[in-house]
Amino acid sequence: MLLRAENVSIAFGSFHALSGANLSVGEGEIVGLIGPNGAGKSTFFNCIGGDMTPNEGRIVFAGADLTDASPETHARAGIGRTFQVPATFEDMSILDNVVVGAFLRHPHRRDALAGAGEVLEFTGLKELQHQRARSLGTPGRKRLEIARVLATSPRLMLLDEVLAGLNPAELQAGIDLLRRVHARGITLVIVEHIMEVIMTLAQRVLVFNQGHVIAEGKPSEVVANQIVIEAYLGRGRRKRRT
Amino acid sequence: MKLGPPALAAALLLYPFIFTGPFYWDIGVGFLLAAISASAWNIVGGYAGQVSVGHSMFFGIGAYMPLLVYNLWKLPPLTGAPAAILVSLGLAVVIGMPTFRLTGHYFSMATIAVAELIRIFVGTWDLVGAAIGQQGPAVGRGWWDLTFRSELPYYYIFLGVLALLLYVTFTVERSRFGYYLRSIKAGERAARSLGVPVRQTKLKALMLSAAFTSAAGSLYAFKTGFIDPESGFGILVSVQMVIVAALGGAGTLFGPLVGALILVPLQTATNTWFGASGSGLTYILYGGIIVLLARFEPGGLHELWYRVAARLPRRRHAA
Repeated sequence: MLLRAENVSIAFGSFHALSGANLSVGEGEIVGLIGPNGAGKSTFFNCIGGDMTPNEGRIVFAGADLTDASPETHARAGIGRTFQVPATFEDMSILDNVVVGAFLRHPHRRDALAGAGEVLEFTGLKELQHQRARSLGTPGRKRLEIARVLATSPRLMLLDEVLAGLNPAELQAGIDLLRRVHARGITLVIVEHIMEVIMTLAQRVLVFNQGHVIAEGKPSEVVANQIVIEAYLGRGRRKRRT
Repeated sequence: MKLGPPALAAALLLYPFIFTGPFYWDIGVGFLLAAISASAWNIVGGYAGQVSVGHSMFFGIGAYMPLLVYNLWKLPPLTGAPAAILVSLGLAVVIGMPTFRLTGHYFSMATIAVAELIRIFVGTWDLVGAAIGQQGPAVGRGWWDLTFRSELPYYYIFLGVLALLLYVTFTVERSRFGYYLRSIKAGERAARSLGVPVRQTKLKALMLSAAFTSAAGSLYAFKTGFIDPESGFGILVSVQMVIVAALGGAGTLFGPLVGALILVPLQTATNTWFGASGSGLTYILYGGIIVLLARFEPGGLHELWYRVAARLPRRRHAA
């Protein structure tokens, strides 16, 4: 297993954002995390990415215990993440945004620039590289976040609603990009509300609700799961429909 | 644009020959000192976005130490400068470790508090002259005392230090360290997620900045031969660094120079016009600049130029 999150729990005061969540991800897998708003998906991401330290449980990546490690250590270990609200470096050029990521594996500027150039070509941002990040719209910023993480040469990418807010054509381009990212041998864990993304890309899906993992399985199984339907639509919804 | 740096170098080298006489040379020295201080502050305040308003603590140490070693042991003031840099580096570590846990305004307030504490402490410490301060050699025992009658030697010494600082900053700008500083300014959380060791990078920046700010303080002491708590550790010293850098463009190589080029002649002009009766004008001037920057151009003149320049080619295409 590449990533093992065991019994991860975190509470903010009396509010239990995560209660004993488990996730195992094998090398090369694409795993989807879904659930209603406030279900604990992003908190779980924050724990895996090192932004938060769980109160209980363990996070093991490639055999190393990263439970208490900083986000920098997670990045060095090979975990890259994007943010729900794009956190691009607005006043830096698109190239410089990606170079910051590339410096993780290439300490010298020339190598980092070469690495960033390859990633910009791959993500289709090469032509815009000298523009400031703030000049990009939402799809461009999300693409830039992916590029920036790719430049760190991650083994695992955590994608937090990276395709949200896109129109159908942009969504299709985004799905294609993620397929190509996966084809580079990178394992993907995707938090997404858009079921088209999950159904198209994910090989396995975990459903979160109120801090718990309530279902796990193939996408087609999960969407038909009565507990999942109730979590999204409320109890009795199925009865009323039939 | 590539002609800019050599043209600037030539202009600075030739300035004393074009504008001759002590009055203009004094303005030149004042400009260089303001540019050095602001450029030193710029490393941590501009590039890394950690707005310290307490950099006078390093400036004061740099200013006091040369005169202190002269008064205590009759050593040349010059020998106090490296000692001051070492003390400033130590202080940067001690201050940086706890304060870099804070961000934004909280960090700025913490730096003000530390600088003010040091100013008050120095003002009551007899060993360093308490409120009276320290006096340097009235007449130099040799060139090594750096006590010159003319402003001209100071001008070229200051210019040499500024050239070194700009070279260091230019190198930093193009290095991994420089990219990391800018990413921290743009967003610490995202920077961390890309493997940027944020606190370590900030601390290194503060140390580098402290070393050069201390050197600026030493240069000030060499030139004036006198230092007291207010002119070394006073909050106005810190505020001037911030305003000079912010006016020209914080986080840019030449921004502090542009800021100093505007502010120093302006200060000299107000002092000349109004004399002692206008001593409070400096505060009004600083306050006015802060208001104007905050309201119209937080990125300073560099940002204004960037926006204007970005429009120029489009107009040409349109035509």
